[in-house]
Amino acid sequence: MSGSFYSNSTFVAIVILAIVLLLIAALMVYVLRHITSILKDKSGAEVEPSFFERNIKPKMDSWNPTIVTLMVIGGLVLMLGVYGFNYGATEIGVQQGYSPDQPINFPHTKHAGAMGIDCQYCHTTAGKSKHASIPSANTCMNCHKGAQLRDNYGGKVSPELMKLYESVGFDPETSTYDPDAETYPIKWVRIHNLPDLAYFNHSQHVTVGNVECQTCHGPIEEMEKVEQFSTLQMGWCVNCHRQRGIDVKNNKYYEDVHKEMKANKEHYVTVAQNGGLECSKCHY
Amino acid sequence: MVAWNVQNVIINLISTFFISMSNSENKYWRGIEELEANPATLENISNEFSDKLPMEEILGDTEELSSNRRDFLKFFGFSVSAVALAACNKTPVKYAMPYINKPEEVTPGHALYYATTCGVYNEGFPVMAKVREGRPIKLDGNPDSALSQGSVNAAGQASILSLYDINRLPHPVVDGSEVEDWSEVDKKVNGILAGASGDVYVVSRTVTSPILQASIQKFMEAHNAKHVVYDPISYSGIRGANKESFGADVIPSYNFDKADVIVSFGADFLGTWISPTRFTADYSKNRVPTPENPEMSKHYQIESLLSLTGTNADYRYSIPASKQGKYLVSLYNMLSGAGGDLELPGNALKQIATELLAAKGKALVVSGSNDKSEQVIVNAINDLLGSYGSTINLSASMNLSNYDEAAFESFVNNAGKAGAIVLLDANPVYSYHNGAALAEAMKNVPVITTAMVVDESSNGAVVHAPNNHTLESWDVYQPMNGHYVTSQPVISKVFNTRSTAESLRTWAGEKVAMGEDQASHQWVVDFLSNDLGQDANKVFHDGFVQKSTGGVSSSFAGSVSSASSRIASNYKESSGFDLALYQKVGVLDGSSALNPWCHELPDPVTKVTYDNYVSISRHDAETNGWEQGDIVKVSGNGAEIDTLPLLIQPGQARGVIGIALGYGRSVQTNADNDLVDLGKNAYPFVQSSSTGTSYLAQNVTIEKVDSGYEFAQTQTHHMIEGRDYLREATIDEYKKDNAVRNEHKFETVSLWSDYDYSKGHHWAMAIDMNACTGCGSCVVSCHIENNVPVVGRKEVRRRRDMHWMRIDRYYSFQADADETASVRVGPSNVDQEFKKGQWSTMENELAGLDKNSASGDNDYGHYDNVKVVHQPVMCQHCDHAPCETVCPVLATTHSSEGLNQMTYNRCIGTKYCGNNCPYKVRRFNWFRYNKNSKFDYHFNNELGRMVLNPDVTVRSRGVMEKCSFCVQNIQMAKLNAKIENRKLEDGDAQTACAKACPSNAIVFGDRNDPNSRIAKMYKNDRSYKMLEEVGTDPSVLYLTKIRNRKEEVQS
Repeated sequence: MSGSFYSNSTFVAIVILAIVLLLIAALMVYVLRHITSILKDKSGAEVEPSFFERNIKPKMDSWNPTIVTLMVIGGLVLMLGVYGFNYGATEIGVQQGYSPDQPINFPHTKHAGAMGIDCQYCHTTAGKSKHASIPSANTCMNCHKGAQLRDNYGGKVSPELMKLYESVGFDPETSTYDPDAETYPIKWVRIHNLPDLAYFNHSQHVTVGNVECQTCHGPIEEMEKVEQFSTLQMGWCVNCHRQRGIDVKNNKYYEDVHKEMKANKEHYVTVAQNGGLECSKCHY
Repeated sequence: MVAWNVQNVIINLISTFFISMSNSENKYWRGIEELEANPATLENISNEFSDKLPMEEILGDTEELSSNRRDFLKFFGFSVSAVALAACNKTPVKYAMPYINKPEEVTPGHALYYATTCGVYNEGFPVMAKVREGRPIKLDGNPDSALSQGSVNAAGQASILSLYDINRLPHPVVDGSEVEDWSEVDKKVNGILAGASGDVYVVSRTVTSPILQASIQKFMEAHNAKHVVYDPISYSGIRGANKESFGADVIPSYNFDKADVIVSFGADFLGTWISPTRFTADYSKNRVPTPENPEMSKHYQIESLLSLTGTNADYRYSIPASKQGKYLVSLYNMLSGAGGDLELPGNALKQIATELLAAKGKALVVSGSNDKSEQVIVNAINDLLGSYGSTINLSASMNLSNYDEAAFESFVNNAGKAGAIVLLDANPVYSYHNGAALAEAMKNVPVITTAMVVDESSNGAVVHAPNNHTLESWDVYQPMNGHYVTSQPVISKVFNTRSTAESLRTWAGEKVAMGEDQASHQWVVDFLSNDLGQDANKVFHDGFVQKSTGGVSSSFAGSVSSASSRIASNYKESSGFDLALYQKVGVLDGSSALNPWCHELPDPVTKVTYDNYVSISRHDAETNGWEQGDIVKVSGNGAEIDTLPLLIQPGQARGVIGIALGYGRSVQTNADNDLVDLGKNAYPFVQSSSTGTSYLAQNVTIEKVDSGYEFAQTQTHHMIEGRDYLREATIDEYKKDNAVRNEHKFETVSLWSDYDYSKGHHWAMAIDMNACTGCGSCVVSCHIENNVPVVGRKEVRRRRDMHWMRIDRYYSFQADADETASVRVGPSNVDQEFKKGQWSTMENELAGLDKNSASGDNDYGHYDNVKVVHQPVMCQHCDHAPCETVCPVLATTHSSEGLNQMTYNRCIGTKYCGNNCPYKVRRFNWFRYNKNSKFDYHFNNELGRMVLNPDVTVRSRGVMEKCSFCVQNIQMAKLNAKIENRKLEDGDAQTACAKACPSNAIVFGDRNDPNSRIAKMYKNDRSYKMLEEVGTDPSVLYLTKIRNRKEEVQS
């Protein structure tokens, strides 16, 4: 699962582990000391004051308990503050794992998975414009005009399909559209959101960059309900831009870059090396 | 002696500096306040901020520190908790709603371009509408039509907002209440018409649409109605003159591109007269000298007010407006050999006559006057010069106006007895000089109106049957004879409106289908196929079709003698002032009352936003003891304006005052902004009678009532201080040396290691100051493309205007042939002044000029004639940008393609970058101008926000913004090239300003592309960089302004 260095669960786990280990260590030291002192007591030998008892304990006894308590609490608050700052700086708005209920329980597992329909059959504009665009109802009706799935529902139309038919005014009994029906677009809940300050263009990545849909969106064909697979944070984008290369050979636009690379015997140029990390490539 | 030598060396160094600094002959000044200001004012002007910074409050003194600490803790505690609460906010749920049935051609995220018209002012102007997901967001000119030649003027660009106007009626209104069903409207209207006790009138503006004409015809037949045409701006003078001279009641087409010598008597043909976009495009074709063809046309402007056209003239003379006719007669007499009586300073009129005769067949004389006799003289002059058939085309006439003053006057007199009045798009109550009388008369008459908003004329209407906006209509217009322009809807109807043609036919008894596919579609298709014999779809695609036009005989049959005698007898000296009424470039005749862009566009000459005013010459102001900002009462000819501020205008003729039309409107609106109560209505001063309309009122008096009005001017701050960023030369100097004024090359040494921009793209821009007329189309286009907010008058006063691109207007004195004063700073002056113990300064030179005036005392004569240069300034995208190095958070950086990038989300609002920018092109968002009721413009309502460009971030408060060279267009162009597997070509990436410019003054492109126009500009000897000596290495070139004048006399 891709994630930033400050991935939520890892960070929390490490912190909790550290605290727990420290507590265990403290406990073990205490138990050891206690047992040693009991043993020493039993043997009757003179108990030499330990390093702790000689140097540290007297100092600790002189401390004001109130102040110590306040400082411990303050330290914990500080840790919390650092954690909170980190959260605010990196995690606000990150919706990784976001998997809302949709108005129609559209199963990608059946369509993209079992039937192997290409992503761009429905999400037609992914290769042409900045939006991948959720398909309009007429795309669904291409197949579902005929495929009413009555076999699965004892002769009745699937309830999810009925929702589709209602939105477009289709009568499955007669297989016709009712011209007077009030049609309405389906109000899908948008999962992958970028803030307005960032410009993202699908066609740049799909057509020019040849990035597979699953690279960013994860294994959609295995998702009963779509969830946001990636964090979509800027660091995540930048990371890929630093690693991924540009296909300069097969695109006339990069002819000059290709020529120069050939001359310098370079084989690989990443998006970052070609200026892909400049601010106004995505922020305008 | 040693000291003397050192001083000498220093002087030599500095004088060399001075030579290079003031290479230009002329010293430039932005306004009178810079020219004659005392040191205190000078310091104020040069301040970064207009308000004094509250330093005492900020620094505080120790006595108050204790309470400050407590306050500090309070704020600190509050902000911490506020931030904590804000951080706990959940991200709102977003929805994605696809089409139900997506049209095949629509790709969400892609723009589609449709050819249609923009119809707010003059009907049928061909434009290309950029449509995103079913709504238009930008208008640009139709590249193929002769009328537009690829661009639209500023007012046309702004007109898209009239589609998204919340003041539009959403439903028809009958008897004061909204109705949703049009059949109710029709029932009411039929009832009114059936029971009409008197004549039924249809009042409209000039109709150039054959569809609308046919509908009006049907209506007239059905109800025995009369059709009256009303236009706020009348051209009856030209029409009447052509009727007399050639038997054709037409406004001809003027071909400025065929003219080598242009003389304009008060015609603002580049700004507001007849067809300014087309005239600008044609005019500029002859204004740019090149090494291969170092010639340019010669433009004389003889006018009373300093108009936009006047600022572009090679020679400009101010005359009192009332004498214009006499000057025309004098010119005619000089041309015909009889010898004229009136002359201009320096025997200029004789000179003009000689040049005109030498350019026979390639000359053009125009006049902006609406006086028929004057226009007859103009026709006679043009006839003598052989203009008809070359520079004037009577057959391709402009169908701008067929307003008949006599017919309308009789309508006004009979309006009170009318049975019903159907108002189409006319607004006579506002713009007719006797609109008040008409309003009174209409009170007792049932009025049916198809106006889109509730304006002055439709205020008391019984039935409001709102028309579609042009961008929602199917129509065809004939704005020029033989040139048919089609209009197609680029958005489905926003409101429940119906096209006027359909309404009229329904009321005429026809059965008109009301559905998604409007009936007018079929009518237009029928007209195109049957009447014009064209393939309708092809015409819709192209946007226009040009048919051949019949010939109009150009044999002059007018009588010069009767015209000149009429002029002579009509001429009277004014007892007070002459009042010249004019239109402003952004506002025009006032139809776009509530369009914020039209008002926030600074007037090209005065740089005033949001107001109209009385402009007056310096001499008259000083003589009467008036100052700029005084509030005066203007009265004369039965009209009166209570209070109007006074503005001193260099270049204005003595004895003439000017007031702009188009202000003082009262449109019903719920908005709470500066547009609601803007300026004063000057139309009552228009002299309209049955013989014609005159925009010149005489015997007007001014009385000062108050003082201290602060104009919202955009050019009152920042000083030139002798820097040399305006370079100007004459054509003779250019012919001798193409690189005149640019000889000195600055050697700059950079502290920074240079970046190699030679690989990839390197974006650059060139602005030709010869082609730039200052029209402002680029400014408005940039606003629309980049979602730039409107800030309102108060903020403009505080110099917080948000224009990413501004057009600076500089005055300089125009030395006439017989003036011996030197306005040049050069080595001789430096030595002289040094000996006197003071440096040569502007103030000293002015004092010298004043002393030269004939009367001996200061009569401010040198203000009568000024030269003006327009310089559009935007972010120069400096390769050594001073703004980038000072940003503490690196919100502004430089890209490998030469763009200065602005990352809004990173900016924390230090404003250090704005401080460091020598060109002062960075604008700061002091407030959040969207969704903010204090800035109740189009960003504050959902409908207005539909015009936003979805590819550009809308900025919030606290961030800097500036011109980005339309990086969204650059990125889109690169992406298209990559997807189409080809290289980027010149012209793929266009900035909004370059696209909008009618004269192609702005060239944008990749200077690494050897075939691009911009690469050629870099080789052009006229090109230079602004403030080159500062070492910023800007990516914007300016081309030296060359004027077709004789060299100035130098001492």
